[in-house]
Amino acid sequence: MSMLPVAARLFAAARLPEAELKRLQGLAYGDAGHGYDPFGLHPDFVAFGEALTRPLYERWFRVRSSGHEHLPATGPGIIASNHSGAIPLDSSMIWTDVVRHTNPPRVARPVADHFVPMIPVVGTVFARAGMVGGSRQNAAALLDRGDLLLIHPEGVPGIAKHFKDRYHLQEWRVGHVELAIRHRAPVIPTAVVGAEEQMPQVGRIPIAFWGLPFIPITVPPFPLPVRYHLRYGAPIALHERYTPDQADDPAVVREGAAEVKAAVQGLIDGMLAERKGIFT
Amino acid sequence: MRGVLVTGSDTTLGERLVRALLADESVGHVVAVGRRPPEQALPLVTQSRMTYLPVDLTRERRVHDLLFGPARDLGVEVVVHTAFAGTALDEGGSVHAQNVDATRQLMNLCERHPTIQRFVLRSFAEVYQVQHDLPVLIAEDHLLNLKANAPQYVRDRVEADLHACVRMGLSRLRILVLRCAEVLAPGTGSQIFDYLESPVCFRPMGYDPMLNLLSLQDFTRAFVAAVHAEQQGVFNIPGADTLPLSLAITKWGRIGISVPGSWMTPLYRWRNRVRGHDFRYGMNRRRFHYSGVLDGRRAREELGYLPSAGINWPIR
Repeated sequence: MSMLPVAARLFAAARLPEAELKRLQGLAYGDAGHGYDPFGLHPDFVAFGEALTRPLYERWFRVRSSGHEHLPATGPGIIASNHSGAIPLDSSMIWTDVVRHTNPPRVARPVADHFVPMIPVVGTVFARAGMVGGSRQNAAALLDRGDLLLIHPEGVPGIAKHFKDRYHLQEWRVGHVELAIRHRAPVIPTAVVGAEEQMPQVGRIPIAFWGLPFIPITVPPFPLPVRYHLRYGAPIALHERYTPDQADDPAVVREGAAEVKAAVQGLIDGMLAERKGIFT
Repeated sequence: MRGVLVTGSDTTLGERLVRALLADESVGHVVAVGRRPPEQALPLVTQSRMTYLPVDLTRERRVHDLLFGPARDLGVEVVVHTAFAGTALDEGGSVHAQNVDATRQLMNLCERHPTIQRFVLRSFAEVYQVQHDLPVLIAEDHLLNLKANAPQYVRDRVEADLHACVRMGLSRLRILVLRCAEVLAPGTGSQIFDYLESPVCFRPMGYDPMLNLLSLQDFTRAFVAAVHAEQQGVFNIPGADTLPLSLAITKWGRIGISVPGSWMTPLYRWRNRVRGHDFRYGMNRRRFHYSGVLDGRRAREELGYLPSAGINWPIR
C-alpha cells in the first residue's frame, strides 16, 4: 500500500469542497522538513481523513456539536472525553469536528492504546492523521509543542463496556490530569452521546495478534445511523491551580481527575435529558 | 586548543571530521589515527597541521605509545573516538576487541594522560530500542537495546556507549557521548544506505515508519561543536531529514514494494547471499515497523547543535 501524500491529496480533492481544501492549507503543525511532523502527521492525510469521515459525520451520524468556543485556538490543550461504541468512531467524529470547527484548523491528536500502531495500515493511516501511541513521553512532547490532545481516560474498558452499562463512565484514569498540570495545558471535558447505541455489544472474541484486546461481537455488525451529539465543556484550568511539581502528588491528580470525570458525566447527563430519541 | 586526536580517520566520517577540524583555525594540530598505511589513507597527509599515524587500536601497547608519544608531544587535549567495525556482517572476538575493548583501553589511557582533557565518543542511534509502545521521539533516557538476541553490531555499540557513560563522573576526563542518527553516506556502515542501494526496496506491508537521517555536514558540525564543548554527557545528534521510509525510497529514485512482513527476512537473506550486501532485515525489523526519531533538544541547548544541512537526495 502506498502512503504517498499525492494519493491522499487526490482523494481529498475529489471529496472535499474547494473552500475546505483551501482552509486546510492553513493547518498549523510542526513540519520536521519533508512535510511530516516527527510523529508522522501530514496535512494531506488530514484532508484525506476529513474526506473519509465526512459522509459519516454529515449523513450517517448527522453530528450535532456545541461548545467549540472552549477549544483553544492556539497552544496546548487536552480534550478528555468518554469512550464508547465498540469501535472508536467516537474518536473519529471528535477528530473531524475539531478540524471542521477550528479556524485556522487544528488537529486533535488522539492518544491511542499501545496496540494501535501495531495494526498494519490502520496504525500508519491514523499516524498520518495525527494519532500517537499512548506513551506518556509522546503526549508530553506534543503538549510541549503546543498541540491539542484527544484522550479517552476510560481507555479500552470504555469502548468495551456492555450495553447495559451505557453512559456510566468506567474507571477514569488520571494520566491526563498529570500531563495537564505538568505541561500547563487546560483540560476540555467533552461528551459524546449516541455512540453507545451504534453497535450494542453482546460478546467478545479473544484474539492474539497485533496486540488487539478482542474482537467485539455486536448486533448489528455495522454501526446504526444513530445521531451523535458532541459537547465541549468549559476548560478546567488545573494548571492555574497547581504548580508543575504538584503533578507528582497522587491526591492532587486524583482530585483533578474526579473533577474532569464529573464534568464529563454532567455533560452526558445534560445531553441525554435533552435528547428526544436515538436517531433524532 | 592545542590538539585533537581523531581515531577512525581513514573512514568516510573520520576523514570528513579531520577536514573540518583542519578548517577550524582554533585547533592547533590534528593527530589522525587510522588502520591503513599513510599512502592509502588520507589525501591530507601533507598538511603541516596534521599528523597521520597508522595504529591498530586493539593493541594496547601501540595505543599507549601513541598517546604517551606523539599525542603528548603535540599537546593533544581532545580525543574523538569514531573507530568502529563498519559492517553488520563482521562478527566475532576481533570485532568485539575493535568496538569495545579498544574503546575501554583508549579511555583508560586517556584518564591518566597529562594533556588529554576531553573524550568524545561517536555512538549510534541503533543503541536505542524501537518498538510500538515506546515514545516516537527518542530522548537520551530512552530504553537501550539490551536484548539478548540483539546482533553483535548492536550489542558492541551499546557496550561501548555504556562504558563511556559509566566513566562519566568517575573519571577526571570530560566525556561526551554523541548518539548520532544514521549517516546516509557510503562507507559509514549505514544499514539504511545499504538497503537503499538496491534498485527495488521491499518494506513490510501496512507500515511506514518515520526515520531520521543525518548528513555528513551535520555529523562533522556536531563533532566540531563537541570538541569545543565544556559540558559532558550524552547527546542525541539528529539529522535534518525526518521522513517516512517510503519517502526515503522515493527520494532515492528506488522502487518500493510492500510485501507481507514474513517475506522480508527470506528476501533480504537471499539478497545478502547473492549480492553480498550488508543490510540485515532482522536487525532492523522493528525500525521498519515503528517510528523512532532522535530528539536533539539537549544537543541544541547545550552544544548549540541544530541540524541544518539536509541530505542531498539521491546519494550517489
